[in-house]
Order: sequence, then structure tokens, then C-alpha cells
Amino acid sequence: MKPITYNTKNWFVRPAMLMLCLFLLNGIILGQDSSGNEQTPVAVKKIKPEKNTFGSIWIIDNQTVMVPIKGTFEMDIMHRFGTIKNGYKDFLGFFAPSNIRLGFEYVPINNLMVGFSITKANMTWEGYGKYAIIKQTKSKYPVSVTYFGDISLDTRGKDNFVHYSDRLMYFNQLIIARKITPKFSAQVSPSLTHVNIVDGYYYEPGKYRGTMNHEHFAIALAGRYKIKENMGIIVNYDQPITKHRSNNPSPNISFGLEVTTSAHAFQFFMGNYSFITPQRNNYYNRNNFKDGQFLIGFNITRMWNY
Amino acid sequence: MKLRYYASALVVLIVIFATGFTFRMQEKKPWPVPDKYKSMKNQVASDAESIAAGKALWSTHCKSCHGVKGQGDGPKAAQLKTEPGDFSKASEQVQSDGSLFYKTSEGRDDMPSFKKKIPDQDDIWSIVNYVRTLKK
Repeated sequence: MKPITYNTKNWFVRPAMLMLCLFLLNGIILGQDSSGNEQTPVAVKKIKPEKNTFGSIWIIDNQTVMVPIKGTFEMDIMHRFGTIKNGYKDFLGFFAPSNIRLGFEYVPINNLMVGFSITKANMTWEGYGKYAIIKQTKSKYPVSVTYFGDISLDTRGKDNFVHYSDRLMYFNQLIIARKITPKFSAQVSPSLTHVNIVDGYYYEPGKYRGTMNHEHFAIALAGRYKIKENMGIIVNYDQPITKHRSNNPSPNISFGLEVTTSAHAFQFFMGNYSFITPQRNNYYNRNNFKDGQFLIGFNITRMWNY
Repeated sequence: MKLRYYASALVVLIVIFATGFTFRMQEKKPWPVPDKYKSMKNQVASDAESIAAGKALWSTHCKSCHGVKGQGDGPKAAQLKTEPGDFSKASEQVQSDGSLFYKTSEGRDDMPSFKKKIPDQDDIWSIVNYVRTLKK
């Protein structure tokens, strides 16, 4: 067996050995007992997560990366009016049939929010949870990451369903956000919607095919730019990714203004989504921004700390 | 003559009630601070970062009553039963950092307690640092 020899003239080995020596020496120096040479300890500034990446748990139709502090109880009142297309006829949709959601959330332990809501569209009850996995810090984590999961139950009359499970839809979302400057925050949120029942047709005798897949991937981009300490411009875009055979949902563009106070957040905006329930928005949206099918909406949240 | 007498008496009564009420409104209820807090040192250095954080929190939680410049003239101030003070004046600034920290944390009457809403004590110290910049 040929012994391994090191040629110290080799251009790679020599600098590597020098680096190794320096590294070891450095370790020895750092490992020295300093008791014989005591110095005044220098106060190390505590590394804390970035605060207030967004002003609310909502940014128009999407959840933000934010989970309120432990012990917070929150109530949401959300409203989506009709599309503005009829102009004065229904006063930009204000007097058209609208969609309303009441939501209630609580933060029982640090970083975990749980909640439930009822929405007028399809009399939808939702149960949801949100967990802050990573929080952005100045030196350790460049982004904050939060998971959001939601189950919705369509509670219309049983004539609309064959099985009870047909009422259920599921939504999973990973929210990745960064407070880029004290004024500007952005987030990207890939999501997966699962629908238990889809419309279908027989393309051959005995062979059934759904018009849409049961799974639907989408991605949302959102941002807030603070124009005053408690006022910001909010924008949000939702892009469907999954291509279905037909009935592909339309993307959503929304933009508006956010005002926050000690306990409230007010968001006023225009957008294409009308269902409020995230899985229904992502899967069934038919309002197309290219056709000017925008609607006006608002979110109001109120927090109490216990 | 009698009517004039009654009218004068009525005016005097109105003045007494009105001024009495005003004096009552302006009367400042003492707010004792435990010695532990009076002498407590500010835990956060008053640097630009802390003052910016304090300003953001002030705008969110304090401005509606205490006003933009801390003069006690926020939009909600008129509804208060207790006088919110004027932080631009030396009479309020004479308080120690620890006293301001205690009052912000604990609250009293119209002044809410912020120890649950702002759980990080360093944030309350940052508000104290910002309050110091309101002095004229």
C-alpha cells in the first residue's frame, strides 16, 4: 500500500495548513482562562424579534405573519360590498348584496392563535390556527415564518350536499415575511387549498371526470408601506398556480389604506375577492380585474388583552 | 327689583357651580409611586433606536389622549375625567424615569395599564425615553 505523502510545496496544502494553525491558535487563545486578567463585563444588547411587521393579523384578504401577544382576544368585522361596475345604480356596490364575516381569535400560549368565524357566503363556519414558527431578528433570522391552517364548513341546507364531508374545505398556508425597513414590510405566502367535492361530468359512459382538481396551489404577495406612524398603504396580490380543466379561478389584486390604534386596526380597500373565507377565495374567485370587477371592502379588528 | 335680585343670584350660583366644576376638573389627584420604582434606573439607553421605538409606541397607544406633542390635548382628552398632564412642561418632566415607567405599566382611572398590552418592559422604557424628548 502506497503511503500518503504531503507535499508542503503544494499550492493548496500549504495555505490550508497555515489556516488550520491559525484556527487552532485562535481557539487556544479564546479558550484561555481570563480569571487572572479580569475585565469589566460589556453589556450585550439583547437580540429581540422585529416588532409590528404588519399592523394587523389581516392584510386585506390574507393573514399576515403576525400572531398577537399571549392573552390577546380579538374580534374581526369584515365586509365586502358588491362590485363597483353598476356605478350609481347601486352606489358602487354599497347597496348591492354584500358578504360579512365575524371572527373571534384568542392567543392561549405564546406564538399560537386559534379562532373561529362565521361568514354570510354559504353560511360558512371556519375554525383556524396560526403558529409563529420563526421570528425575524437583526442577526439570526432574516425572515419571520408563520403557518396558518383553516377548515371551513358550509352550513347551508342538506339539499345542497350528498355527504356531510362535501361541506368541508381546507386551507394551509406558509407565510414568510420580512420587515425590510421600519416603514416597509413584505410577505410571500404559498398556499394549498383542498376541496372535498368538485363539479364533474361523464366524459364516457361510466367514466367520471372533475372540472377542477381537489387540490389548488396559489401564492400571495403582500406589502405595507407606512406613510405615517399609524397609517400605511397596503397591497396584496393572489396568483393561482394550479391549472384546472375549466373554471380556473381569477387572480386577485387588492390595495387600500390601513389605520391602526392601540386596540383597533382599520383597513379600507378595493379588490377582486369577495368570499372572505381564504379557501373559497382562492378556489372559486370569478371576479376578474381585467373586466374591472373590483369591490370595496373593509376589515375592522378590535383587540383586548387578558 | 325682585326679579333683578333673583337674576343676580342665579348668575352668581351659575358662576360658583361652573368655576367649582372647572376647579374640580383641574384638580390633580396625587398618584403615589412606590419607592422601588421612584429610584429605578432606566434599563434602556436613550439612543436613536430606543426613541424611534418609543415614538412608534407613543403614536399607537398614547397619542389619542396625551396628544402628538404630549401636551394632554389628544382627540380623546376632552372625554377624560382625569387630567392627562403636559409632558412639555417641567412640572411633568420632574418625575423620575422609574415613576413614568410605573405609571405607564400600572395605569390608574382613565390611564390604562400597559403591562399586558406592552409586555416587553424595554418597550415601556423606550416610551419613557421618548417622553423625555417632549420637553420644551
